[in-house]
Amino acid sequence: MDRRTAIRNLALVIGGAALLPACTKQNPIVNYKHFDINIDQQTLISDMAETIIPKTNTPGATDLNLYSFIVKMLDDCAKKEDQQAFFKGMGEFNELPQKLFNKSFADCSNKERESVLNTFEKKNNYSKDMLAFYNTVKGLTVFGYTESKYFMTKQVVYELVPGRYNAYFPVKNLKAGVKNG
Amino acid sequence: MSTNTYDAIVIGSGISGGWAAKELTEKGLKTIMLERGRNIEHVKDYVNANKAPWEFTHRGGRTVQMTKDYPVLKRDYALNETNLDYWASDKDSPYVEIKPFDWFRGYHVGGKSLMWGRQSYRWADVDFEANAKDGIAIDWPIRYKDLAPWYSYVEGFAGISGNKDGLSILPDGNFMPPMEMNCVEKDVAARINSHYKGIRNMIIGRTANITQPLPGRTNCQYRNKCWLGCPFGAYFSTQSSTLPAAMATGNLTVRPWSIVTRILYDKDTKRAKGVEVLDAETNKTYEYYAKIVFVNASTLNSAWVLMNSATDIWPGGLGSSSGELGHNLMDHHLGVGAGGVVEGYDDKYYFGRRANGIYIPRFRNLNGEKRDYIRGFGYQGGAGREAWGRAIPEFSIGGQFKDALSEPGEWTMGMGGFGETLPYHENRTYIDKNKKDKWGLPVLAIDATIKDNEKKMRIDMGNDAKEMLEMAGVKNVHIYTSEGVLGRGIHEMGTARMGRDPKTSVLNEWNQVWDAKNVFVTDGACMVSTACQNPSLTYMAMTARAADHAVSELKKGNI
Repeated sequence: MDRRTAIRNLALVIGGAALLPACTKQNPIVNYKHFDINIDQQTLISDMAETIIPKTNTPGATDLNLYSFIVKMLDDCAKKEDQQAFFKGMGEFNELPQKLFNKSFADCSNKERESVLNTFEKKNNYSKDMLAFYNTVKGLTVFGYTESKYFMTKQVVYELVPGRYNAYFPVKNLKAGVKNG
Repeated sequence: MSTNTYDAIVIGSGISGGWAAKELTEKGLKTIMLERGRNIEHVKDYVNANKAPWEFTHRGGRTVQMTKDYPVLKRDYALNETNLDYWASDKDSPYVEIKPFDWFRGYHVGGKSLMWGRQSYRWADVDFEANAKDGIAIDWPIRYKDLAPWYSYVEGFAGISGNKDGLSILPDGNFMPPMEMNCVEKDVAARINSHYKGIRNMIIGRTANITQPLPGRTNCQYRNKCWLGCPFGAYFSTQSSTLPAAMATGNLTVRPWSIVTRILYDKDTKRAKGVEVLDAETNKTYEYYAKIVFVNASTLNSAWVLMNSATDIWPGGLGSSSGELGHNLMDHHLGVGAGGVVEGYDDKYYFGRRANGIYIPRFRNLNGEKRDYIRGFGYQGGAGREAWGRAIPEFSIGGQFKDALSEPGEWTMGMGGFGETLPYHENRTYIDKNKKDKWGLPVLAIDATIKDNEKKMRIDMGNDAKEMLEMAGVKNVHIYTSEGVLGRGIHEMGTARMGRDPKTSVLNEWNQVWDAKNVFVTDGACMVSTACQNPSLTYMAMTARAADHAVSELKKGNI
């Protein structure tokens, strides 16, 4: 039995989730159904999500744990070739902050992180895999945010049972906290 | 009397089966309703109906595993996380596609009445007369006036909300108050109605969502979660509507997990004496006996049951003496329309999720107009504002981007056509003995496709939508189109058509199988043409009419 299997089994014994980080000292690995993610990769996805949806006077991606949602969707809903493109693109992405700021994305300031991501919002000649990686992270971050309980109850009004259809409804009444309908 | 003997057997528990059970039991017949799948109990078994969007692991999306498990269902919107359990397993119940044909099924009590689109339109005289006038296939044996009182009857009980628009192409019915158009839809409708001088009309959809309470049912709460099952019973389904009524008579027995393998035909009396059932859980075989049998297994499965019955007398099955059983398979062809953005309503929105849209009844090839194809199409669509999750050009990332996500987006308006498909003899289904389902039963092969008439019509379906939207002031209008695979409309019709002559039809004018007069087929299989309106309301009316006739014939001793 190799060390990783042993730790995974230990996790089962303890009753913990299968997501317990396996230990390779510098770069622990988390096992998902279709891929493994090391701590650096996890940090990168989290940092990108937080740059896209940052904490301001309202919660951001980290507060809402969007990282877990992104990886869950990638694991369950992305085809094998799309998962492969994602990780290949991620590898290429890592070179970008090095080239621009001579440091890793994790070591970049918020401003620097924004400028790295903003290069994707303009026309550029990035590889298909790199674009796939960025678009997946961004798409799932926005999807996870706008479908989060926080967003749907505190930012906009989601009523499970509206009970009415108001066909003429002023936009100014739309914000959470305003009496609706 | 054996415990397996009833007055009536109903095969299937969907929209038409539920109606058959209700009508027959209310007229005093001890009835057993046989359903091939599991039971789904009203409200209690709508397990996802009260979940918030964020409570679904994948927020309603589809996983790779789901697309592997449902290779057919994945072709369209139907495959999703929220009501996956309501769709039949493509793996357990395969079929053979000679040409691409989407077959989306509901194998459980209630059938597709739980997931249907609920749009409910009457047919008009022009629809029943069309085959005769065009010299296509055979004439309908009935006319609008034969069905009109039954439309009123089923509308009253099912609960259809709609506006009395006074259009001859789309007769008004026994409606509850209509739902409301939003501000953009109202303006677009006014422009279309005035520009085309009453030839083209945009109206609010007529839907089987109730806007006033009915016994045991609450009016629509504007949740737009109908296809999860409605805890308020606000849309018509077997569970919310016909089943409670049938149960209340004390005359109904429901038997889930009952796959009807054949109708038992007695060649001496030339009548059916009952059915053979394969228990889907135990694989044991049972027989049930009755004076009359209603076949409501859904178009293609009703054909399967008939084709698998009385094969010792007719190799092609019960009702095959005409040579038409399994033939003339039809659907509405769709997947063509147009959409664009609407400017100038930025301060206006709507509240509540209306599970209904707008409708534009057929306007082509009427009043003397002659296109390069026959028949026509209607449109369904609507206007709405793009919600959060849209692309926001000004901000790509960051705090301002985050804030902008909670603002409503652009108004858009779109419409998609539902086109009439002609009855072609060669569009057919038949039993392929070489392929078996999970229960070892031979499966259907389906060989059907749209042809020239539909293809020409589809050009108009795109262009007319664009023209109307642009005329009404919608910007950046784009036409979308697709191949027009049959089955995608989930409006399968034909395979056991009605008619006046046993040589050219499977059923008579009362939906009785010519070769066994105590067998009635009242689901989509009975249809002689498709018109372009959504067909379920017509099945309901047809079923109530046939049940009335069946009981009257039974009393007279004629069957």
